[in-house]
Amino acid sequence: MELVGEQKRIQALFSELRLADEQTAPRFAAVWNRAQAASSQTWRPARALNLSFVAATALLICALVSLALWSKYSQQNARQAIVVVTGNATPATVPVEVVKDTAGDPPLSEGSRDRAASRSRAKRLAARRRELMLAINLKAAREAKAISNWQSPTTALLKSQNDELLKSLPQLNESADDLKSFLTNTPK
Amino acid sequence: MDNAELKVELEKLHSASFGWALSCCGRDRGEAEEVLQTVYLKILEGKARFRGEANLKTWLFAVIRNTAISEHRRSLLRGLRLTADREAAIEQIPVYETPTEGFERSETQAQFQNALKSLPARQREALHLVFYEDLSLREAAEVMRVSIGSARQHYERGKKRLRETLGQTDIAYGISWRAKENPGAV
Repeated sequence: MELVGEQKRIQALFSELRLADEQTAPRFAAVWNRAQAASSQTWRPARALNLSFVAATALLICALVSLALWSKYSQQNARQAIVVVTGNATPATVPVEVVKDTAGDPPLSEGSRDRAASRSRAKRLAARRRELMLAINLKAAREAKAISNWQSPTTALLKSQNDELLKSLPQLNESADDLKSFLTNTPK
Repeated sequence: MDNAELKVELEKLHSASFGWALSCCGRDRGEAEEVLQTVYLKILEGKARFRGEANLKTWLFAVIRNTAISEHRRSLLRGLRLTADREAAIEQIPVYETPTEGFERSETQAQFQNALKSLPARQREALHLVFYEDLSLREAAEVMRVSIGSARQHYERGKKRLRETLGQTDIAYGISWRAKENPGAV
């Protein structure tokens, strides 16, 4: 019973509060119109933001594509440069002329001419390879000779006049005379 | 439900919505109005959409509650920066007394509102939804996004605490309560 009474009292206080709030509540139309106005204002920046976002994305994609293309071309150029450098460094690029006397030969047909050309190309390549190997061998031989002839500049400083005395020792099977001659200062 | 229909329904619920917004904003009228406007804006922009899964009133109250919470968080962040400015501004604002303020200054209501403010938020919400908005406990639970058991617990505890707080004061209604509980005390 008391619980019901308690609830009624609370209800009465809340009702009083609600009445007071209803009197001071803003008009619906005013709040709704303000919200509508805010909605139309926020729409434009949102659209502008979207456009700028699209523009920024497009720029980013362009930059990425150009970067990818540039890196691809630079890699290709670097590869070509390496090929040119290595090609110039080898002695095999020295042109070797294969002189062939074809004055007495009968005129060749198309197929046989091709075969002859490929054969001469193969010969030229073999000659280049031989020359290259020869050059490498010659270089290696020169280097080996230079190494074997090398002498230390301080070798002379290690030599002295008494080297023979210091290095020679009496042997067990030598004769006594030789020993006496070796010991010159000893009393006889 | 199209926008025109929704607008009509919102208009019907406007004063109740304002009361709920007031409760969610600690009875700050300016803030409550701002929250309500933000809620209408969300509805207009389609950020808050009623799908008919629940009662329109409980859905609207849930949106108001969420908006009030997020606005409160935002204002706290803003407040960290603007505290000094606001204090200076408040000092310059002239004080006018509105009829409501006159009413709120009436002793019983002032005591009641202070007692409400002293309650934990959940308990205050449960009491407001049941007594002020005439919602059932199930509907209150939907608005508060809690289970019905939890809502009932908040409601019962809130009622008990409100009674205790009001009982400590010397307002007539408190005295009558205590007289009923312990006739020898009064």
